[in-house]
Amino acid sequence: MLATEKRFIDKLKTYLLFAGPTTFVFLTVIILPFLFGIYLTFTNWDGISKTYTFVRLSNYITVFKDRMFWSSFMLTVKYVFYTVVIVNTLGFILAYALTGNNVIGQNFLRTGFFIPNLIGGIILGLVWRFIFSNVLVFIGRNLNIGFLSYSWLANPDKAFWTLVIVSVWQYSGYMMIIFIAGLSNIPRELIEAATIDGANGFHRLRSIVLPLMVPSFIVTVFLTIQRGFMVYDVNLALTGGGPFKSTELISMHVYEKAFLAQQYGVGQSQAFFLFLLVAAISITQVYFSKKLEVEA
Amino acid sequence: MKRIKLVQCMLVFALVLSMSSMVVLAQDVQITILNSKGEIQTQLEEIAAYYSSITDGVSIEVISAPVGQSPFERAVALYASGNAPAILMLDAGDVLLFQDRALALNDEKWVADAIDNSLDMATAEDGRILAFPVTVEGFGFIYNKPVLDKAVGGEFDPATINTIDSLRQLFDAIDDSGKGALVISPEDWSLGAHFFSLAYSAQSPDFNTINEFLEGLKNGTVSLADNGAANGLLDTFDLMKEYNYDRLDPLASTYDRGTELIGEGEVGIWFMGNWAWPEIADFDTTGGQFGFLPVPISNDPADLGNTQIPVGVTKYFILDGEQNSSAQQQAAKDFLNWLVYDPEGQKRFVVDANIIPAFSNITIAPADPLSASLLDYVREGRTMNFILNLPPDHWAQVGASMQKYLSNFINRDAFFKEVETYWQGL
Repeated sequence: MLATEKRFIDKLKTYLLFAGPTTFVFLTVIILPFLFGIYLTFTNWDGISKTYTFVRLSNYITVFKDRMFWSSFMLTVKYVFYTVVIVNTLGFILAYALTGNNVIGQNFLRTGFFIPNLIGGIILGLVWRFIFSNVLVFIGRNLNIGFLSYSWLANPDKAFWTLVIVSVWQYSGYMMIIFIAGLSNIPRELIEAATIDGANGFHRLRSIVLPLMVPSFIVTVFLTIQRGFMVYDVNLALTGGGPFKSTELISMHVYEKAFLAQQYGVGQSQAFFLFLLVAAISITQVYFSKKLEVEA
Repeated sequence: MKRIKLVQCMLVFALVLSMSSMVVLAQDVQITILNSKGEIQTQLEEIAAYYSSITDGVSIEVISAPVGQSPFERAVALYASGNAPAILMLDAGDVLLFQDRALALNDEKWVADAIDNSLDMATAEDGRILAFPVTVEGFGFIYNKPVLDKAVGGEFDPATINTIDSLRQLFDAIDDSGKGALVISPEDWSLGAHFFSLAYSAQSPDFNTINEFLEGLKNGTVSLADNGAANGLLDTFDLMKEYNYDRLDPLASTYDRGTELIGEGEVGIWFMGNWAWPEIADFDTTGGQFGFLPVPISNDPADLGNTQIPVGVTKYFILDGEQNSSAQQQAAKDFLNWLVYDPEGQKRFVVDANIIPAFSNITIAPADPLSASLLDYVREGRTMNFILNLPPDHWAQVGASMQKYLSNFINRDAFFKEVETYWQGL
């Protein structure tokens, strides 16, 4: 009895010594604001006044009735779908191409593809904004290329694709690095054995490389889904939600509800709802893709 | 041993740091101003630096909320972080939201000198005056006089533009002279908060009647499609769309492009307000020959709006009464008094920063042509209400609908429907 108690205290001491500060920060910076935020969803606070009243569930009812919220949500789902598919495909292709033996300037190319990820989203958005609304239009008008003659950012459909293009450009390199790490972990003897057995490049890719890359895909798909739902900076700097709010992704909608429309309670309810949804999607994704994992 | 030395060093360092910061606190009063008029950021910084240099121990820092971002967002974030500036420049409609946190300013000397009605939006229900009126602003069609002189073949007389038809003739004349008639900057705040608010202003010269109209929009008893002023305003907007310099790609134009085109005389007319002067001045090729035209809403010159432009107090300073020390609050009050009563303060505030002050004791006026033109309208009594008590996201939502209408994404019926839906959803 005494022994177990002592062991527990020892364990606690060790835990506090190593993880105490982090736990404290995590509690105060993440958990407490999170709980307080949930509490605020039941009020009609405007963001600044000292008094507010309880409105029970009416904020959540407002969320479900808010058509702008749902159209913004569906747009975000569409955006996540395209970015996840394109970023992962492109990232994998880049990684596969850059791990072969006969590529000149391998490290240089890897660095080049990775660099966009080091630029902050706001700067990246502004740079691409200039490209889409000035550079491409200039080229289009001078060379008489119809679809480039008008700013893509001024057209609701094309503005959506500019978001996808910039996100793909930003994240493909990052995912490529994860894939490269995964690829270099595949035992060489498996590939050699398959080659001796007469498997060609495509067979090796489909039957050996891809199954063994599942752990990498779990990570990259998780990262891209989560980042896709949470994207704000590129959205803000590139399209600003425009033209006429047609590219307002969900984070921006939540932010504007809380701080611009001064309905903090409603904005917070939307944010909480979004949290539940993203958590559910991510957990499902990780759970099901874990089942695809194989042992070498 | 080594580790102990390191710890000692750090302790000593921390001690020195805290002592030196104590010394600073004992001597100086530092206050911060949140500026939400991005176009006068430099001028305000210069004023702050000058004021710091002439006072003993008071230093002022100016931080900014960017053009197009709501100052409310920035102020809320600063309050939430426990870092509220001593002076915050807010939009007129947001002032009363801060009534729990702002200082009551009823005892200040400038209250007596503030012009009529300028404190209406700054007074809480309990009678506390919470804000200092910063600036009087107005908007309309800004015109470049040399371009229009050339177009009409002689001296251009702004009084000739008082109907939609006369505006069309003017656009035609400018077009024939080889320049662009006008450029529309498609920013949501410009189209939503300013342009479409003309439809509200033109309802009546009486503020209460306008408020009844807005109430009617809220509870769905007002139909915009049946409203003369709203339709007339969109008739004018159709005309503007037709002659828009950037009509090929109307949403790709920007505010900055507008300042450049009007300043260099590439276009004759631009829809904007007098706040744009510092930026137009950078491109000015006319030696300062600009003025305002009203935005006509019908073909009867007697209708309200055809010869009037909206003018109002758009920005207020509130003083924080919560997170700043009493010394800082006093310094902030002193600074405002200095702006209103000290000749040097007046000059720097009014002339250098192009501010039309809301105080009757200030006799100097900004030297820029747009403010001069605006003041002419005020002197002649040709003004109407600048609607500043619109809901906080009105500019963004109605602005978005205006952008759709501008780019022919929706027609007039759909536009009116969207605006009505917005109001009814409040």
